[in-house]
Amino acid sequence: MRVLKLSGQVVALAAVAGLLGLLVWRVTHRTAPPKIGGPAPTFKLERVDKPGTVDLASLRGKPVVLNFWASWCVPCKGEAAMLEQASHEYSKQGVVFLGVDWHDVTSDAHRFLSKHGVTYTTVLDRTGSIADRYGVAAVPETYFIDRQGRLVGVHIVGTVVNQTEAFRRGVEAALHS
Amino acid sequence: MILRLAAVVVAALALAGPAAAACVHPRTSLNYLEGQIMCPTCHTTLDQSDSAAATRIKVYIQKRIDECATADQIRAELVTNFGAGILAAPSHKGFDLLAWWLPLGGVIAGAAVLAFGVWRWSRTRESDSDDPPTKLDAADEQRLDELLARLD
Repeated sequence: MRVLKLSGQVVALAAVAGLLGLLVWRVTHRTAPPKIGGPAPTFKLERVDKPGTVDLASLRGKPVVLNFWASWCVPCKGEAAMLEQASHEYSKQGVVFLGVDWHDVTSDAHRFLSKHGVTYTTVLDRTGSIADRYGVAAVPETYFIDRQGRLVGVHIVGTVVNQTEAFRRGVEAALHS
Repeated sequence: MILRLAAVVVAALALAGPAAAACVHPRTSLNYLEGQIMCPTCHTTLDQSDSAAATRIKVYIQKRIDECATADQIRAELVTNFGAGILAAPSHKGFDLLAWWLPLGGVIAGAAVLAFGVWRWSRTRESDSDDPPTKLDAADEQRLDELLARLD
């Protein structure tokens, strides 16, 4: 009887310790936005615009403009033309524009790209896990990555249309740092 | 002849409409599905969210319902598109089964512990009542007799 009682107490203590451990793990593993100057979280995602995948690591050596968007996002519609134009403008200097479609219906994403004439590469973040690693809470958000794979310049939250100066500074930082 | 042909075409079109609208199985509904699907950006079920993402998914579900897709088909398409996290409840397969069985196991284990506790408690009470009355020693017995004599 004593052994049974002791075993019960051990099991109860282990359960409480397990729950406490889970709580501590959850609190300490909360995703914070990556720091500017730090490494850009890597990913390999399926393309939306055509079959295949894109590995961010394969773009090392090129400045990258990383834009998180979704077809249901109204401000994303507003900035699509500007981003497309900028992608052409900066392509001569080797800047790669990469769109990351966030929590979206694939057919809607296709329609969005076609309607807004987006020609630069776009990948699909189905579960939002990559956006989570970048600390994206809402779209659009834009990051700039230099040739060494570091986040540089600024992190633009919201449409780039209203933040053209920050956008230009971000691209310049990606090009020259 | 032309009039007859036109009449046949009109009749065929009139019949084709309802036939196309009918499904071979009972049609599911948005109301039924929106409590089972999560809004990926706000982490509530679709019926509790009016966010842009939730609204778009509701439109998609309604479109698929209109196209006669079954609830299972729609759920499967959404899982393909957004991942398993889009479902409000875990699936009944593999590791996800734990989510269904663990609470049940917990309730059974709790009931067993409770039953055991009650059984032990009732046995302790029984054995308490079976104990013979404690015998007084000679001094106490004498004191008791004196007290009773005084009361008389």
